[in-house]
Amino acid sequence: MNSNLYFNVLPEKLAAIEERRLCTRCIMDTSDPDISFDDRGICSHCRDYDILVLRQQRSCTTQSAFKRIVEEISSHGKGRPYDCLIGLSGGVDSSYLAYVARQAGLRPLVVHVDAGWDSELAVKNIEKLVRRLDLDLHTVVVDWDEMRDLQASFMRAEVPNQDIPQDHVFAAAVMSTAAKHNIRYVLNGSNTSTESIMPRAWGYNSLDLRHLRAIHRRFGTRKLRTYPTISFFEYYVYHPRIRGIRTIRLLNFLEYEKAKAIDILQQQLGWKYYGGKHYESTFTKFFQAHYLPTKFGYDKRRAHLSSLVVSGQLSREQALLEMQQPLYDPRQLLEDKEYIAKKLGIPFQELDDILARPGKPHADYPSNERLFRFKDWLIKKNG
Amino acid sequence: MLIPRVIPCLLLTGSGLIKTRRFRHRRYVGDIINAVRIFNDKEVDELLVLDIDATIVGYEPRLDIITSIAGECFMPLAYGGGISSMKQAEELFTAGVEKVVVNSAAIRQPELIKQVSSNFGSQSVVVCIDYKRNWLGRVHTYIESGRKCTGMTPLEHAGYVEAQGAGEIIIQSIERDGCRMGYDLDLIRQIASATNVPLIACGGAHQLTDFSAAIDRGASAVSAGSMFVFHGKHQAVLITYPERHELESIFQRAA
Repeated sequence: MNSNLYFNVLPEKLAAIEERRLCTRCIMDTSDPDISFDDRGICSHCRDYDILVLRQQRSCTTQSAFKRIVEEISSHGKGRPYDCLIGLSGGVDSSYLAYVARQAGLRPLVVHVDAGWDSELAVKNIEKLVRRLDLDLHTVVVDWDEMRDLQASFMRAEVPNQDIPQDHVFAAAVMSTAAKHNIRYVLNGSNTSTESIMPRAWGYNSLDLRHLRAIHRRFGTRKLRTYPTISFFEYYVYHPRIRGIRTIRLLNFLEYEKAKAIDILQQQLGWKYYGGKHYESTFTKFFQAHYLPTKFGYDKRRAHLSSLVVSGQLSREQALLEMQQPLYDPRQLLEDKEYIAKKLGIPFQELDDILARPGKPHADYPSNERLFRFKDWLIKKNG
Repeated sequence: MLIPRVIPCLLLTGSGLIKTRRFRHRRYVGDIINAVRIFNDKEVDELLVLDIDATIVGYEPRLDIITSIAGECFMPLAYGGGISSMKQAEELFTAGVEKVVVNSAAIRQPELIKQVSSNFGSQSVVVCIDYKRNWLGRVHTYIESGRKCTGMTPLEHAGYVEAQGAGEIIIQSIERDGCRMGYDLDLIRQIASATNVPLIACGGAHQLTDFSAAIDRGASAVSAGSMFVFHGKHQAVLITYPERHELESIFQRAA
């Protein structure tokens, strides 16, 4: 979900919360500073989820709706080499999306963005997927020296969302590749079934180019010459309105269950699970399982597991049990930390200091937050 | 069974990994450290890293980058590029490199091969011989990243470096580099039958059967670049390496 817009929260606010209160339906708690509870103890995320599902049931989750959208895509693609485009990370959602699209008879061009953190497992999964499903692969390789500089800038900015450099370039590369190949449908693996819950305060929108540039200007040491970017205008006006590119969350048209999806991928394609949402990248794993929890007190597993609980894929007890698992194997953590410091060119001691300090809110740096909020308001108003 | 070594060849410039076609047409492939990590997890036999700008731009082997590569690399690492002295060779071995690869130095300072092999054993020094056909159809070897002709034929060149004490020879076709048209099998056979030094075929590998064909002609190992970094018709960058059972079956059939 694109839910990380609100970002004006100081981490101190978290420290002020002494006692954690847990939702009685999912496992979200007061580590989300914006959470509220009704008189039955059910949290605002559960309420939002119910509204979302209700709205979605009206529009898509029926087989005929799935058929209709697939027909629309394939009829548009007649006579063209590809009828749609899929961004593939090698993770569960995008891999399963590619599988589903292929089963439905679509002919996607698959795009992978190499931002320098691919693990062997992710690369192998992509290889298996494209070979077994006979897909054409296109890759966008981000210049590592620029990427390194940008990621080191974000690390030194000490903001919550360290994944902005990776997420931004992903969106930019997918859109520009679609435009280049004249593809009108972009299939997106994001879905309400496994990622409906994510507190806004835990991150910030990666599409905000002004914010990205501001942080890089402040901490960066070299120019971004080739790093692909996408502006607000390009993303919300040029590509969708002028080029007519539609983004479709195809998994929302299906009964998508994560465990079943993993099963199918493993059995049919020899795909392998890497243990943890977004852990297909070493950096994202470190960011989600160490940086965010230690520096900000945000444990994204809580949101990921809650999403599975509200959509009925996991019992609340199992989710709570899962939360008892350590975030990181200590030896693995040290190894990853050393690797990340080395790879980002940040001295190990400095990285340690960064992790020990309280974080800074995204609002400390210039952004287009109001513009994005205005867009949200506009969308809400027009339904 | 003993499987011949299948060695990914990675070209380094700046801190980036690139791939060339015919020693030109450079394409950026990504961060070398991450690529090495992936090959490491794929349990590759051996890795060949060549800094193709060192000699022509004129810098020494960059120990900082080489040390971090060696630190990520659990398999034997061969490094080439800008090596011209015994001191550099020593530093490289200290940095974790198993073999040094020389190309230009084999002609400019042939005594270096002798020095390294007598100090560290002949297995630690590899000579890379690059060759191409000129417009008259004559085949000559080249140094300085394929820019300067030595006037020797590959056969003469191989005989010469063998006499100097080279422990291994990489024979690389400039015309086939990055073109995925198969190895230059005739030449591999010629050189393999004329020399006693283990030979590594390089330049042109396209599919698994190319490996066994080169081994059949007498090469003791094979090396490839494009085949392990590019995939499919869009030449997407995707690091791959054959599974052990695939290699076993291909070499078994050949044997």
